[in-house]
Amino acid sequence: MATQIIMDLNGDTRHKFDVKDAKALLEAERRFKALTGAGFTAATRSASGDPVVTRAFDPTADETVFFPRLVGG
Amino acid sequence: MFATLLHIVNGHLGRLLGTCLHLARSFREWYLRPNLREQRGLNLLREWLSQEQLAQYDAHRYFEVTGCHTGKRYRIRHGNGANIIELDDAAMPRTGWCFVPRDPLVAGDVMLAQKIALETDERGALAVANNFTPR
Repeated sequence: MATQIIMDLNGDTRHKFDVKDAKALLEAERRFKALTGAGFTAATRSASGDPVVTRAFDPTADETVFFPRLVGG
Repeated sequence: MFATLLHIVNGHLGRLLGTCLHLARSFREWYLRPNLREQRGLNLLREWLSQEQLAQYDAHRYFEVTGCHTGKRYRIRHGNGANIIELDDAAMPRTGWCFVPRDPLVAGDVMLAQKIALETDERGALAVANNFTPR
């Protein structure tokens, strides 16, 4: 199962989906596009554990974290 | 007659007790929610920190990252803002930086977003950041 983790007021909201399920995969891709289109940054981890920002939906990613656009504080 | 009255009262008391229990549970969830949110954010952060960063965070409530463009070191202290310190070659504070996710998030989420930004898009992160003199 792959997971999309969206940071929000509750800490985060997690969406798990089976990459073998075409409908779930489509929904995950739709969610990815909606979030990144709204300014969220999507990040996965490399094999060594380093974060990698991803601009396109990667169906092979085990875990993708989304955080809102950054602004000066 | 008395048995009927007792039965009715018993029913009312049961419903009252049920309502009280429901209210108590709701109050407990409301009371604990901020802690659960904070904990969820910290759990996610801990999953994403390297072993070295995690050890630093557990020991000092901060961890250090390397900027992907300049190789500079930054210390991210536990917090929701004004919590990033750029270090000089002697690991002394040089400049404070403040950038945060646009939406209000718990500290763990904020620190994770800052770590990812500095490690993958240092210039982009600093371009939106405000700086300050660290104490």
